[in-house]
Amino acid sequence: MPASEITIKLDRVSKNFGEFTAVRDLSLDVCAGRVFGLLGPNGAGKTTTIRMIVNITAPDTGNVYLFGRKIDQALQDRIGYLPEERGLYRRMRIVDQLRFFAELKNVRGKQAESKIDEWLERVKLSEWKNKRSMELSKGMQQKIQFITSVIHDPDLLILDEPFSGLDPINTELLKEIVLDLKRAGKTIIFSTHQMEVAERICDDICLLNRSRKILEGSLRDIKRSFGRNSVAIRCEGGDGVLDDPEFVSKLVRHVDEAQVLLAPGADAQKLLRRLIDSGAEIGKFEMMEPSLNDIFITKVTESA
Amino acid sequence: MKKFLAVVKREYLQRVRAKMFIVTTVLLPGAMSLFGVVPILMLSIKTPPVRVVVVDQTGKLYDQLRQGLMSDESAQPANENNAEPRSPGRRGLTSFQLEEINAPDQSMDQLRNSLNQRLRQREIDGYLILPPDFLVRGQAEFFNNNPGDLFSPPALQSALNRAVREQRLIEAKVDNKTREELFRPVDLQAVKIGESGGRDSGSSFALVFGIGFVMYISILMYGQIVLGAVIEEKETRIAEILFSSVRPFPLMMGKLVGVSLVALTQLTIWGLAFSAFALYGVNLLASRGLPSFSIPGIPFSHYIYFLLFFLLGYFIYATIYALVGSMVTTAQEGGQLAMPIILLLVVSFYLFFPVSRSPDSSFSFWVSMIPFTAPVAMLVRIVTHTPPFWQIALSLLIGFSSVLVIMFIASRVYRVGMLMYGKRASIPEAWRWARQA
Repeated sequence: MPASEITIKLDRVSKNFGEFTAVRDLSLDVCAGRVFGLLGPNGAGKTTTIRMIVNITAPDTGNVYLFGRKIDQALQDRIGYLPEERGLYRRMRIVDQLRFFAELKNVRGKQAESKIDEWLERVKLSEWKNKRSMELSKGMQQKIQFITSVIHDPDLLILDEPFSGLDPINTELLKEIVLDLKRAGKTIIFSTHQMEVAERICDDICLLNRSRKILEGSLRDIKRSFGRNSVAIRCEGGDGVLDDPEFVSKLVRHVDEAQVLLAPGADAQKLLRRLIDSGAEIGKFEMMEPSLNDIFITKVTESA
Repeated sequence: MKKFLAVVKREYLQRVRAKMFIVTTVLLPGAMSLFGVVPILMLSIKTPPVRVVVVDQTGKLYDQLRQGLMSDESAQPANENNAEPRSPGRRGLTSFQLEEINAPDQSMDQLRNSLNQRLRQREIDGYLILPPDFLVRGQAEFFNNNPGDLFSPPALQSALNRAVREQRLIEAKVDNKTREELFRPVDLQAVKIGESGGRDSGSSFALVFGIGFVMYISILMYGQIVLGAVIEEKETRIAEILFSSVRPFPLMMGKLVGVSLVALTQLTIWGLAFSAFALYGVNLLASRGLPSFSIPGIPFSHYIYFLLFFLLGYFIYATIYALVGSMVTTAQEGGQLAMPIILLLVVSFYLFFPVSRSPDSSFSFWVSMIPFTAPVAMLVRIVTHTPPFWQIALSLLIGFSSVLVIMFIASRVYRVGMLMYGKRASIPEAWRWARQA
């Protein structure tokens, strides 16, 4: 990919807190106009990585480049950041808070006012403009927090667990907004450990575990490289076959079907034959791409 | 800089608009003036005259006693008619209704019985018996049924004193003119040294003490608010959002300055209200013919020093509150850690005395350079024996630089503490954090 499209470049970045290494020798490229998923279990170093990108902490070694420049204070105004730890001033009116956060990003006056109205309209909270945030429900507050990260029209938007605690309708609303921003050419970093959500909106992912990068690339390529080793099966009988470790490395039973991860070297066709031979009545037998969740679990367990 | 101003603006407007601010601003002077005015109002309530029966067995004193007590009633300035030292507050508080009984045919016991009867039936409030040898022995008895009445007996006593003295002079054949001459009051006028051009350090001292006191009160009131303002973003979990837009140092300075402007706004409102009240009060006193007190002759430069050192004192202590706020995660923890600050403040207050005794000693010099003690110590030195200008300037420079240094350390501790999260810093940890990038 051409260098001009790279929004963020992390070059061999490390960060220690005393004895503890939060991020070790991490290099990353994040491209403009894409949603980049920064994934990993708790304590993997996601938040520290993000803080270095936002210039809240400086890396001990290595460099962070944003829009082709080494990160500095002025570049902060082009970033929108919604941290996982977030809140609002309880007693402040919504409009005052938004005005304050806009001002901190050097957006003021008429421009700020029109942005505030526009965004409140978009998340359907216009009539709450003059209320204090303590009067809002948790979900509403979360939408207001989201506005604080986009009010200055940033080129880079970093969202850390943006949907946690939101109901499906609001999740869908925010997801649409995020995808709109992506279409408008913004770069979006999306950090989560909800793999189903990441799977639906990320173009590229990077998987961190224990302060190291263990997987990186476009979601498409990664899934392809994992191959079709997962089978969704709905059948009556044949239980013994599915428990056979020669074919099946992992079996997950859902309400009316089972998901099978094939053992290395096992052949799906042979498994199907065995099931028929054992007299099972098969309603569904479908080769599946591995879910991001499966990849996540496999990789994290592997690297442990 | 713009972001710093945005923080200042938010802190200031949020707090000044709050109902709490308006309530305390209005209520406190209200409560204070209530404390001042109510007792005066209470004392000025008119009570019915005290009904006293006088049994004058000397037969010579009643008229003069009556004259003395009645002239008390008309509000004449103190000490005009009466050479007796009397506390002026009692004047006019009691009025009397006198009745003379001359009953030579009754025995003393009979008389007393009948008077006691009247006392019990509350027809009279008391009776005074002047025995025949009263002019010689000077002993009389006053019976009343109200031991809580603090005002009548002294009033009676002084009136009697005067009556007896007058009568003794008459009996010594002193003529009217000489008597008048003898009773003519003197006029003692209090002259202030300050008015003759010299230094009026008495009232300057009072002013320094007053400034120290206002400083103390405002630290007590606003230190906690600075602490709360610093903790606010931790408790509401906004800190990380802010850090993605503004550096910790302008953030902390913005908070300190914002809250301080609120404090100054409130103090100014109170100051103006107080001055208006005081001026009104002085005019009132003047209109009643009492000597008004003039503003002491303090050089103008001193007023500037007063203001500068007041600000220094306020800021130096407020920044320590900010530092404490940067170390803790909840306001309760902060309250405990803040206790020693008050102690330090009180200690600096007590320096008032050693420094005023020897303002030029090296001890005084050093304590007026240490930022925590400088505000009081230097002001005392300025009003007693003004030190060279460079010392004053140096003290201010050290003080205000310390404010910046403490705020810088606080912002470091704040940031590192926030990134580590959820933990109160010990002092060594805070020190390590401050040095950590």
